Amino acid sequence: MKIVVLLSAGRHPVSGAPVLPRMEAQAIRIAAALGEAVGLHAGPDAEAVREALGLGLTHIEHIAVADGLDPVPALAARLAAMAPDLVLAGRRGQGGPESGIVPYALAEALDLLLIPDVVAVSGGPDTLTLDQSLGRGALRRVAVRGPVLATVHPDAAAPLAYAFGKARRGTIELVGAAAKATDVPEAVVEERPYRRRPKLVKGAPTGGSAAERLKAATGEGGSATKGRLLVEPDPEEAAREILAHLRQIGVLADASKSAK
Amino acid sequence: MTSLMPLTTVFPGLVWLMAALALVQGLRRAALWRVGAAAPVAWLDGLAKLPKRYLVDVHHVVARDAYASRMHAVVAGGLLAASILTALAILPPIAGFRPYWFVVALAFGVTAVGSLLVGARRYPSKQKRLSAGRFQILPFLLVAYAVGGTATALLLAFGIGGVFAPLALALAAAGGLGLAFEVRHGPMRHAAAGALHLVAHPRPGRFEGRPDTALQPLDLDAPRLGSEMPADFTWNRLLSYDACVSCGRCEIACPAFAAGQPLNPKRLIQDLVAGLSPAEPAYAGNPYPGGRQAQGERGALAGLIGPDARIHPDTLWSCTTCRACVEECPMMIEHVDAVVSLRRHQTLERGALPDKAVGPVTELRQSGDPGGRPLSARTDFAAGVDLPVMAERGGAEILLWLGEGAYDLRYGRSLRALIRLLREAGVDFAVLGAEERDTGDLARRLGDEATFQALARENIATLAKYRFERIVTADPHALHALRNEYPAMGGRYTLAHHTAFLLELIRAGKLNPARLPDLSVTYHDPCYLARYNGETEAPRAVLDAIGVSRSEMARSGKRAMCCGGGGGAPVSDIPGERRIPDIRMAQAAETGAGIVAVACPSCTAMLEGVTGRHAEIRDIAELLLQAVEAGR
Repeated sequence: MKIVVLLSAGRHPVSGAPVLPRMEAQAIRIAAALGEAVGLHAGPDAEAVREALGLGLTHIEHIAVADGLDPVPALAARLAAMAPDLVLAGRRGQGGPESGIVPYALAEALDLLLIPDVVAVSGGPDTLTLDQSLGRGALRRVAVRGPVLATVHPDAAAPLAYAFGKARRGTIELVGAAAKATDVPEAVVEERPYRRRPKLVKGAPTGGSAAERLKAATGEGGSATKGRLLVEPDPEEAAREILAHLRQIGVLADASKSAK
Repeated sequence: MTSLMPLTTVFPGLVWLMAALALVQGLRRAALWRVGAAAPVAWLDGLAKLPKRYLVDVHHVVARDAYASRMHAVVAGGLLAASILTALAILPPIAGFRPYWFVVALAFGVTAVGSLLVGARRYPSKQKRLSAGRFQILPFLLVAYAVGGTATALLLAFGIGGVFAPLALALAAAGGLGLAFEVRHGPMRHAAAGALHLVAHPRPGRFEGRPDTALQPLDLDAPRLGSEMPADFTWNRLLSYDACVSCGRCEIACPAFAAGQPLNPKRLIQDLVAGLSPAEPAYAGNPYPGGRQAQGERGALAGLIGPDARIHPDTLWSCTTCRACVEECPMMIEHVDAVVSLRRHQTLERGALPDKAVGPVTELRQSGDPGGRPLSARTDFAAGVDLPVMAERGGAEILLWLGEGAYDLRYGRSLRALIRLLREAGVDFAVLGAEERDTGDLARRLGDEATFQALARENIATLAKYRFERIVTADPHALHALRNEYPAMGGRYTLAHHTAFLLELIRAGKLNPARLPDLSVTYHDPCYLARYNGETEAPRAVLDAIGVSRSEMARSGKRAMCCGGGGGAPVSDIPGERRIPDIRMAQAAETGAGIVAVACPSCTAMLEGVTGRHAEIRDIAELLLQAVEAGR
């Protein structure tokens, strides 16, 4: 199975030192357990991701892209040429120029299926089983066919230990440079300095006991617990449930009314 | 017998034959050391100093067990004297001189007494720490050689021949040739390899009266990092492991062994010995706690570490690097160097750190602190205390190195006490503040030499910016790294542990403590202060200066037991049957002291973490501050 791990230049959240983002290190661990994995980095300097060679990768492909240029076209072209079965990326950037939008932009450009927040991957190369984190420890198992792009959630297994000797032996290969003419995409997001804000809890009871407010805040009394959970239901039964739900929320007309 | 050759020729000939056999057996073993890497050895110097190293340094350790010391004096002295005297009798003028044979008989007689002393340690029941196996035959060989030799020499002295002579000679031959044969695999190897080990010791400095304890820096450009197989050790290290006599003093001293963690230093060294040669007889001592018996592959190129190899990774990570085994080893073997060398391969080449240690080592590499905390938060403990920072001052007489303990709330109390004492004494000092990085001690003990060297370079560059005369630190681990290990990285500083510095201040009259005779105190020596730096007196002198009633634990000074906090053991957290600090606090409780005085942030954290303890844990600085305040 051919696996590509997208690598970005990150920064340590406390020291600000240049480091490989933790979620990408976790992605490498997932990839290394599945098969031969290659790192792919687009940026001005591959030294920023050399650390990945000590964390489980043996080879990194580097596309030279000047600072401020959009790396997505170059990455998309390279990925199209490599035709991997699985592309792994972090779910968000870590202090570097990567904002977390690249995996989505790539999935769109390559018309790939994107599965976010993955904590474990098994199977392959045809059918992959991915465990997706739904937050608060809840997991969803997804089985997909064909090439897929997945972003890794922090709940995935911790990164492997850095091995200096392996980092020394790993190779970085310059595979191309982005054409300078690439248009810098217009800023689709507005940037503002971070400001702490009080966390609003939707539908939180203004009164009630502390336990009730906690329940509301942690979502245990929310909509997630109101529905019915059917595990591998009979198709007929599942269809009935879906229809009943759609009618209940007013998407479909009530069966008894339409019969009149 | 006399018809073929006179007894006066055959008997010395036997000793020469023994010597030849011992040489052949020794060379067969020595051929294996040749697979080891090259090492610089000062041969002439080592040979010249061999008698002193044996009679002073080795004796100093052996004599801790007075019985073993006397036993060796009699049996080894007798054996050597008797054999050499007999060998000289190959010269006809000596052989014909009857009184000479009385002297020989006397020497053999002494050997016979020694042989019985050897036997008494093993029969009827063997001392628990000793190994069985081939060692159990040793007393019989010795007795046979000594008694046979005595009888033969007496026959020669009285000039009696007849049927007794061949019988006595046969007995001596059986014992003597047996002993010589044992030079390759058996107990007698420790004599041959041990003597050569003293000549070619990898740390000759430890015989010069100074603690030679710094880990040797690793060349990070070497083709393979650390030791994976026996051939990765230098040849004189392989030789040193062959010197092991399986006496088991190390396993009695080892805190991890006492706690039931899967480490037994004797078994570890014997595994290194057996890993080198498939022909090595089976190990016959106490096993690793946990009962693991994996044999694994053998041979110079066989991997030593692994779940199925001879040594389980948990064995490596159980070591607290306290050097208690090295301190107790009569053969001067460097166990900790072996552990760290094996760890280096695991960490640097295989990235096989124990799971729980990955986080701290990663943070150390990425942010300069094992907790990933901001470096600027290191001085948070001193909120409200006037703490001068080097960056603002440019220099000070004393640079106060805070260390990792500064982040700990409990230890902050000790540091605040130290700072108040420095203020009281009017010391001109400053800290590095946010510029201070971890010394890299944790990374280095866990085998991550690359991170240690990177941190050392950064710290040395920082220290080069400022003027100061000395560095004072309350952390013996930082003290050891800065004083003993940074010189190899190009940073040379004068270091003082805070206990030594406070003693200076008291003696100079700058601190005037009152006496606190109501406190009963026992002092716990930190390994990195006592064994690594040989400093055991200053903390005790400070305690005596404040007049507390001081008692000593059974294991104290250079022979103190570790708190379990060194060598990355707390972050590796290998499970055992007991906890090391619990054992140590039980030892402290035996003294009945109400206060356990400490002088190290690791010891403070480990010992204060013991549940159900009755004694208080107080740093020396805290006790001194209490005395100084009482004296106002």
